[in-house]
Amino acid sequence: MQPDPKPGRPAHDIAMWGAPGSGKTTLLAALDIALMRKDDDWRIVGSDPASSEFLIERTNALSTGKVFPEASQGLEHYHWTLYGPGERHRRRWWRRPGKPEPFEVGVGMIDAPGGLFSAGPRRLDYGPDVLDDLRERMLNDLVKSLGIVFLFDPIREFERGDAFDHLHPPLKRLTERMRDLGRLTGGRLPHHVAVCVTKFDDPRVLETAEKMHLLASEPDDPYGFPRVSHDDARDLFRQLCDLSANGNADMVLNALGRYFHPDRVRFFVTSSIGFYVHPQTKAFDWHDYQNLLPEDDDLRIRGPIHPINVVEPMLWLGRRLAAEKESPR
Amino acid sequence: MTRDPVPEPGEDLLGKTLARAVAGLTATGRLVVVEVAADGMTTFEIHRDEHGTALGRQWPLPWITLTAEHGWGEDARQALLRAAGLPAPGSEVIVACSSPESGTALQALEWLREARTAQVFSTAAPIAGLVRDVLVGDPLHQSYDLVVMRPAGAGGRLELAGKLLFPVGARAGTRTELTVRCEPGGEHGTALAVVTRQGREPRLLSVHSARVAPGPYVVTAELVRPGRVRFAGLPGLAADGRTWDDLLADVPDRLPPRTGPAHLICAVEVCGPDVKVEERLGRARQMIAFLSGEPADTPRVSLVAYGAHSFDRSVRDRPVEVVTWQATAEAALKGLDGLEERGAVTQGYPYHPHAAQVEDMLATVAARLSRSMSRSSPGRHVLLTIGDRRPHPGRADRSGVLPCPQRHDWRSLLAYLEHLPGVAFGAICDQPEDGPPHRIWRHLGAQALAHLDALDLQGLAAGLGLAVPAAVHVPFPLLDETE
Repeated sequence: MQPDPKPGRPAHDIAMWGAPGSGKTTLLAALDIALMRKDDDWRIVGSDPASSEFLIERTNALSTGKVFPEASQGLEHYHWTLYGPGERHRRRWWRRPGKPEPFEVGVGMIDAPGGLFSAGPRRLDYGPDVLDDLRERMLNDLVKSLGIVFLFDPIREFERGDAFDHLHPPLKRLTERMRDLGRLTGGRLPHHVAVCVTKFDDPRVLETAEKMHLLASEPDDPYGFPRVSHDDARDLFRQLCDLSANGNADMVLNALGRYFHPDRVRFFVTSSIGFYVHPQTKAFDWHDYQNLLPEDDDLRIRGPIHPINVVEPMLWLGRRLAAEKESPR
Repeated sequence: MTRDPVPEPGEDLLGKTLARAVAGLTATGRLVVVEVAADGMTTFEIHRDEHGTALGRQWPLPWITLTAEHGWGEDARQALLRAAGLPAPGSEVIVACSSPESGTALQALEWLREARTAQVFSTAAPIAGLVRDVLVGDPLHQSYDLVVMRPAGAGGRLELAGKLLFPVGARAGTRTELTVRCEPGGEHGTALAVVTRQGREPRLLSVHSARVAPGPYVVTAELVRPGRVRFAGLPGLAADGRTWDDLLADVPDRLPPRTGPAHLICAVEVCGPDVKVEERLGRARQMIAFLSGEPADTPRVSLVAYGAHSFDRSVRDRPVEVVTWQATAEAALKGLDGLEERGAVTQGYPYHPHAAQVEDMLATVAARLSRSMSRSSPGRHVLLTIGDRRPHPGRADRSGVLPCPQRHDWRSLLAYLEHLPGVAFGAICDQPEDGPPHRIWRHLGAQALAHLDALDLQGLAAGLGLAVPAAVHVPFPLLDETE
């Protein structure tokens, strides 16, 4: 377990949050690849050697080995810094517009196996002290963070239906902690939340979106990938909730809406690996778009990955946090 | 139907009277004939059984026995009348005296005359032979049918039926000839069962069975005497003691599929574990070898091998291999040698682990069959698929299985093949490791579906119409359709 990051890291952290197997690790690895594919000067850098190593390993696994990053097995606490070109400050009466300041936001993730907060049968091979410590760290992360990336895996929800179990206990404790610190605003948590509906590349998710007529391609996308705009993402989330294995997914949506300020929650429909693109056509093909290939009991990535909506939640959060920094409440 | 000349039952009046009296016997009637002779009295009682056959039984009463017990007085008279078993008034009684010079016989004749009105005849010889001749010469009172099976509607359904052997009035010596087809009859062989009818209900008269090779037979039936039919034309025919219910218990409801010239297409999945591929190829070999030894026409054999699609850009997708097409069994077996030597196709990565080129195989077979049928008559074609994997879908779907690179749609290909005339589907499917077989295997094994580990070659071949089923026996002859 790493010590707490160095004091020099950015203050406005983004915390990654989601049920085990919801794709936190994959999303981060895909983020690194997606940033490198962008023309502008975005990059994500580890805040300590372990975090750098973690990101290098996972990114390589995803891009070179065509395998999914290994799911978290240990109890790790990672921090990275997301650097960007920044935006030119708006003109204020007390200062002239100057050079844009580099954008910088910290991203933290407790990389722990599932069941950390769940009330169900404990399957973790750790003693109560270790678990208490880890819960405390995760809560601290969430308390210190101003932004949260919450991952909702509709396929896991369809098969296991445990998203609410992994959201509800820490949410209650976070609210309690924030109330004690006097940081609730209007009785709600102050965080900005990017809700990422993952696995957009899965036929079950894509077809649901298609049936709801939520798909559109961006005009400047050379591959013509289908996308769901963030305005429609909540509707898709709601529809996917109906397919939950235990019917509790709608409570995830309700909890997010009640514990956070609705205007600080935005939905994104994401895919870390994206759709398969045939090397000859170099375009999205409705007949053959799956980028996953079963291998033994696992899944392997079939072709180059084209992450969809992986950068956008980070940038949205980063901008919201930067804006808050400029105009403190 | 032919009829031999039937000798007259007797030229004398007694013979004619007896014949007339027997012919006039009803189902419940009784005729008593008493012969009085120098040494005793013999009573003949004649009645008809359930088949209308006149049957007689006789019992003697020697005078020495009568007198020893009763003397020759009133007691003897009563004992004599009891022994004569005279029927109630109204029934016919015939008395014959073969020793008119014997005083004892005349006394007995007198007692009988006093007791009942009877026709009395004199005869020079014992009448037992005459009675037997009359019974043998009695014409049939009910028609005799041979039990046969015949097709009833489509789908090979069978029904029991009767083929008339002898009509009412037929006499001993009459012969009739008919052509039947015998199928494997099981333990008892084919039964030639003769029945009469009470209304619509058949009554079993006689059964003779023979285990004969399947095929057409010309059978001759001869009416030896009323109640006895002798058959010729089936070798090894012997009396069979089974009851009507026993016979009915063996009757199948369907005609086994006809065998005959066919085209067997063995499509073998050659990807997956080596041991499984080896086993599949072995099953294909067994089937081809088995059919080569069948008495029916040996089928033409096509051998098709298919594997998994490659989804690796650097490895070319290996197409479905048509090793032989409409070739001899020997050529197909030679083709299997090559496939066995090569073993499972594992070269290249990543092959799909759960699906195979089933849809490509169907496309290949459909194209080949379509070409064959456009050049000649459709004939019978049997697609025997040996494998366990599912097909690739035509386009991405929720199954998660990648779509066929050729965009073949197994549903439409299967539907096309199913509608081709004379195409049957059989499959030998091993249980996949990841759950039950895909639903396509129900279609691929529509006529016969077997498991790789428990294969009944005879049953599978029979289900596909490539061999006669061992389990289905037809206990009665089939009426020849060309008759």
